[in-house]
Amino acid sequence: MVLEINNLYKKFGGETVLDGISFSANKGEIVCIRGKSGEGKTTLLRCINNLEVPDNGSIKINNLYLFRDDDGIVKRATKAELKIIRQEIGLVFQGFNLFPHMTVMENLIKAPKFIKIMPEEKINKRALELLKQLELENKCNCYPFQLSGGQKQRVAIARACMLNPSVLCFDEPTSALDENTGNQIFKIIRDLSNQGITIIIVSHDNGFIDKIAQKVITLSDGKIISEQQ
Amino acid sequence: MESKILEMFVPMTLEGIKTTLGVFLVTLMVSLPLSIAVARLRMSKNKVVSLIIGIYIYIMRGTPLLLQLMFIFFGFYYVPYIGYAFSRTQAIFIAFILNYTAYFAEIFRGGINSIDRGQYEAAEVLGLGRAHTFLKIILPQVLKNVLPSMGNEVITLVKDTSLVYILGAGDILKAAKSVSNKYSAFSPYIYVGLVYLAITAVLTKLLAKIENKYDYYS
Repeated sequence: MVLEINNLYKKFGGETVLDGISFSANKGEIVCIRGKSGEGKTTLLRCINNLEVPDNGSIKINNLYLFRDDDGIVKRATKAELKIIRQEIGLVFQGFNLFPHMTVMENLIKAPKFIKIMPEEKINKRALELLKQLELENKCNCYPFQLSGGQKQRVAIARACMLNPSVLCFDEPTSALDENTGNQIFKIIRDLSNQGITIIIVSHDNGFIDKIAQKVITLSDGKIISEQQ
Repeated sequence: MESKILEMFVPMTLEGIKTTLGVFLVTLMVSLPLSIAVARLRMSKNKVVSLIIGIYIYIMRGTPLLLQLMFIFFGFYYVPYIGYAFSRTQAIFIAFILNYTAYFAEIFRGGINSIDRGQYEAAEVLGLGRAHTFLKIILPQVLKNVLPSMGNEVITLVKDTSLVYILGAGDILKAAKSVSNKYSAFSPYIYVGLVYLAITAVLTKLLAKIENKYDYYS
């Protein structure tokens, strides 16, 4: 298993948003999480990416615990563990969250250069390869405001892929895209899955989910009400 | 008569401009970086730190700079335990730096607050450290957002330098006053007004250039 989530709970104020969520994902598997707005999908994704701390439960990525349930107390990964886990998981935000003051190329190479995962020349080469793969090679020196929604989405995917993650999460990947661009993203996600990257998609676009998912998890009131292969 | 006025006004103004520009440049160079740190402390989750900084900003913004200059030069000596007699130059720089740091800090605080939370989250997910995120991701965007307000304050600072007359420092306004008193003429004040306008014109041009430099992204 690449990703294992066990008995995850999260409350905001008095409201339970995640109520005992458990599921797992294999290498290269495409898992889609669906549900209406406010059912806890995004919170779940945020917990997987360490942007929220669950109240209880555990999240394990490639045998490293991001959160571990220790007799009802959630223990977080140590700094050293977190550094490794951070490279194992990527997130493509719904609003992309590209850095507006940086070019496409700078957006891609910022994190790998900071983390120093490989020599600088290799980082640049990898970025160019990814941009070519995603048909963005002529947009290297463009700023995000000069790109269309679909292009921004692809830059965000390329940026997340720069760290060679084992798990790549997508928050509503088709919500801001037209049908054609949605189809492009569909192909890209399929390719990433074929390369062995586990994909977690949160969406309420049932058409997209039916087309792409290998496993569908349906959330309602913070609980899993169905899990279908 | 007018030529005699100018004969006295020009060398005195050239001398006074050293004080005016000196106070302006030192205040700007110290206050700007300091205000970023103060803004961060004002936004600190530590309530005591935030409160102390809040009180400092309130005092600086709530009292006239003229009064602050007078307090630091004349009054600080009488403060129990920490009282100290600052020199004229020290008092001027301390008052200007403390005052302008407070104003700049509030501008930066607004700028930092205006940055979307998603920018911090994207940086966190990518594993960028907190300091790196602030310096390389947040601050460049903040600078672009605060430049127009900062520009206003910078222009105000040039004019505020005239307040140093209260401590007897010789700036360009004092030069005009001396010449005016000697010849019982008003024209030196018009000339000094033109000098202020010239300085402001140069700064306005410079600020517009800086704004343009940061305007490379929408």
